[in-house]
Amino acid sequence: MPDSGYPWPIETTRLDNGLRVVVSEDRTAPAVAVNLWYDVGSRHEPAGQTGFAHLFEHLMFEGSVNVAKTEHMKLIQGSGGSLNATTNPDRTNYFETVPAEHLELALWLEADRMGGLVPALTQHTLDNQRDVVKNERRQRYENVPYGDAWLRLLPLLYPPGHPYHHATIGSMADLNAADLATFQAFHQTYYAPDNAVLTVVGDATAAEVFALAQRYFGAIPARGDIPAAPDGHTVARTGRPAVETVTAEVPAARVYVAHRTHPFGSPGYDVATVAATVLGSGRGSRLYQRLADGERLAQPDLVGAYGVDLAHAPAPVIATATARPGVSAQRLAAGVAEVVDELATVPVTATELDRAKALLSTAWWRQMATVDGRADALGRYATQFGDPAKTADRLPGWLSVTAGQIAELAADLLTPTDRVTLTYLPEETS
Amino acid sequence: MTLITTRPGPGTARPYRFPTVVRRDVAGGRVVAAHLPGQNLAVALLLLDAGAGREPVGKEGLGAVLAKALEEGTAHRDATGFALAVEGLGTELATGLDWDTFQVSVQVPVDRLGAAVELLAEAVRTPRLDPDDVRRVRDDEATALRMDWANPGPRADAVLRADLFGAQHRWGRPLYGDPDSVAGLDVEDVTVFHSEWFLRPGTLVVAGDLDRLDLDALGAAAFAGTGGGPVERGGPIEVPLPTGRRIILVDRPGSVQSTLRLGHPAPHRAHPDHVPMTLAGTVLGGAFTSRLNHLIREVRGYTYGIRGDFASSRRFGRFAVSSGVQTAVTAPALVEAVGEITRTRVGGVTEDELAVARFWRAGQLSVELQSPRAIASALTTLVVHDLPDDYHARLREALLAADVAQVSAAAATHLHPEALTLVIEGDAALIRDELVASGLGEVTDHVG
Repeated sequence: MPDSGYPWPIETTRLDNGLRVVVSEDRTAPAVAVNLWYDVGSRHEPAGQTGFAHLFEHLMFEGSVNVAKTEHMKLIQGSGGSLNATTNPDRTNYFETVPAEHLELALWLEADRMGGLVPALTQHTLDNQRDVVKNERRQRYENVPYGDAWLRLLPLLYPPGHPYHHATIGSMADLNAADLATFQAFHQTYYAPDNAVLTVVGDATAAEVFALAQRYFGAIPARGDIPAAPDGHTVARTGRPAVETVTAEVPAARVYVAHRTHPFGSPGYDVATVAATVLGSGRGSRLYQRLADGERLAQPDLVGAYGVDLAHAPAPVIATATARPGVSAQRLAAGVAEVVDELATVPVTATELDRAKALLSTAWWRQMATVDGRADALGRYATQFGDPAKTADRLPGWLSVTAGQIAELAADLLTPTDRVTLTYLPEETS
Repeated sequence: MTLITTRPGPGTARPYRFPTVVRRDVAGGRVVAAHLPGQNLAVALLLLDAGAGREPVGKEGLGAVLAKALEEGTAHRDATGFALAVEGLGTELATGLDWDTFQVSVQVPVDRLGAAVELLAEAVRTPRLDPDDVRRVRDDEATALRMDWANPGPRADAVLRADLFGAQHRWGRPLYGDPDSVAGLDVEDVTVFHSEWFLRPGTLVVAGDLDRLDLDALGAAAFAGTGGGPVERGGPIEVPLPTGRRIILVDRPGSVQSTLRLGHPAPHRAHPDHVPMTLAGTVLGGAFTSRLNHLIREVRGYTYGIRGDFASSRRFGRFAVSSGVQTAVTAPALVEAVGEITRTRVGGVTEDELAVARFWRAGQLSVELQSPRAIASALTTLVVHDLPDDYHARLREALLAADVAQVSAAAATHLHPEALTLVIEGDAALIRDELVASGLGEVTDHVG
């Protein structure tokens, strides 16, 4: 059993303006990954401003004081690089992987949009990207069967006012109401060096990166008092299951069974992660064996369970199955619930546990196989847990989980009284 | 505040190096491997000459059903036993199908690769293929396709493919078949396809730390019990260009977006213009700052994204553009997209655009070729298209050397805006009149 999930060097520093810089040198390939985690996500959005953190992410590609609109993309791709950004309830990350000789360019671009976005932000850009994001919402959530499942699960899992109650993509009404001043203020509030972690992994030395970070980011002033998101760590148990049934244009009945567990990064969430893998990852999982193979209630390609790795509140574990032709939604839902319930009553065997840990180990090393995968992990642990070296603890954490802990977690948290069940029913066809 | 106003130039580039390639004949088959020193994970991928192009017309989906059936038990253990054995090593059997090949692969920590390849071979060479299991897998696959075809895209893709290549040919029908073709397969189709194509040795691709791997043992495990030599693969297919541009409307009532699939036939993979065509496609629709994405997304805001490219297999190729646009702007988006394709054909590319395309494609050969999975995929390209060990280094040089004249010439030769088929999957009642009025081409409604 490896005692570390991160067998590469890690060096860190903090600039005077609070920017944390993390470097992990690896000379294997002539490529370097640059990754910025900003500690702002949709959990920071007040009512009426849902979707703003994500829309803002789009604006970060539309130019800053020394970079013209869309030039960011052009310069990175024109250097041979790959780039993107993502927003989730917890945070927003921006990343590019470039041939190593273009490291300085990547840092310059990131610094320019951290320190100089607001003067370049125009109403025209906001209107254009608002349209793009509305099309993203249509494409990913509205125009596909079951596309809105996550949008429906969140309010069932987290009560009004909770930072995870609303989805990151936001509502059309809020997006329509977004005004320029709000976004200027959003940048000034959250896009500050003392609210970010800069991680560089690959073909560069720590000394080189620290010097470049100082050169490009050093003059950006700290913000100081960055407002915290509402605290969501405690979610009161209602003592009663939440149930929603949707009749929609879907090709078959589908069930989602979701539970709040523990925040990502805690020992309890390691147990939840292994439990979800036992429950729903692969053909040897309980859900597959029982519902796809055994009773043949579920379509084999569409049965599974997974945790959503959120760190600022009890994170969800979601099990899902889609009915085979002729199987009713009630029967399917009962089947999924039964398999989840049995995690508390039917002990996980050594074979099941080893299988889950082997799958998780491969998944871990798969992320670690690229400089960009490593950079995102280091940025996450530095941002959420204050220390990038904690990255090394995740894999040993999973590998130390016992069958007894899974049964305890299931008995405590995966109970019928604390369950969210979302069911999709196909519209009646004539 | 003082941000640095001047954009920094590049430092000194390290020389490009693709991992060392090892090719070895073992036990009647061929092993092609790349050495990744120090890498914890390793990938083994068995490449069989059993792509969708081998499926008889009317039997589309055979390979996909067989792929699933391989995991329903082997000569040595039942389906559950097999799943537990494979997943106990930390991997799943990943299957893939394209026009040229069928692929099965495993990805595990390097010390487990031998055991994983033995299981892979057990499934591929000695599957149980119990008739009841095969029928159930077939039904499940038909259901899975029905689910998939409820999404926007698959129907439009199928309509475009049929129009470009002709539904009387296998390559004019969907890669994975459609719900009806799969439902119509019988057990014998599957067992015969297996015995004809899955018992030939094929090629084992390995990406990992070769100091910790025994390629002879891996090859021996992968090729045990196989026989039969390679089979003639057939030459490039001449696909005639359509005589005029046309619109085919696929109704999806209630859609809030229209799914666009525009395309025409294009050269096969070995065509000498491959590199300049790739770059022309990148300028037009590949990069984020491509002409299409810039205009339709960044200027107009009609879409979340639009892309276009040339794609090719051993025997044929196509140029295609795909996007999802808000229903209300379907016609203007189409007019602008066809306009950009025409402009690129007529006016060629600029040095500024080509520089981005050239360096992006070249740089991706370092940036995107890091993981064992990505390296295995690169090796697969060498095998399928009979390319030399230093292909990626040579490709990089060819990309960097391509000039405006060559790429513009490729655009002029291989883009055919007047011969495009425009397939629109959306709410027909809302968009038909506008499409007719656009004058882009005759509008026909897809039936079925």
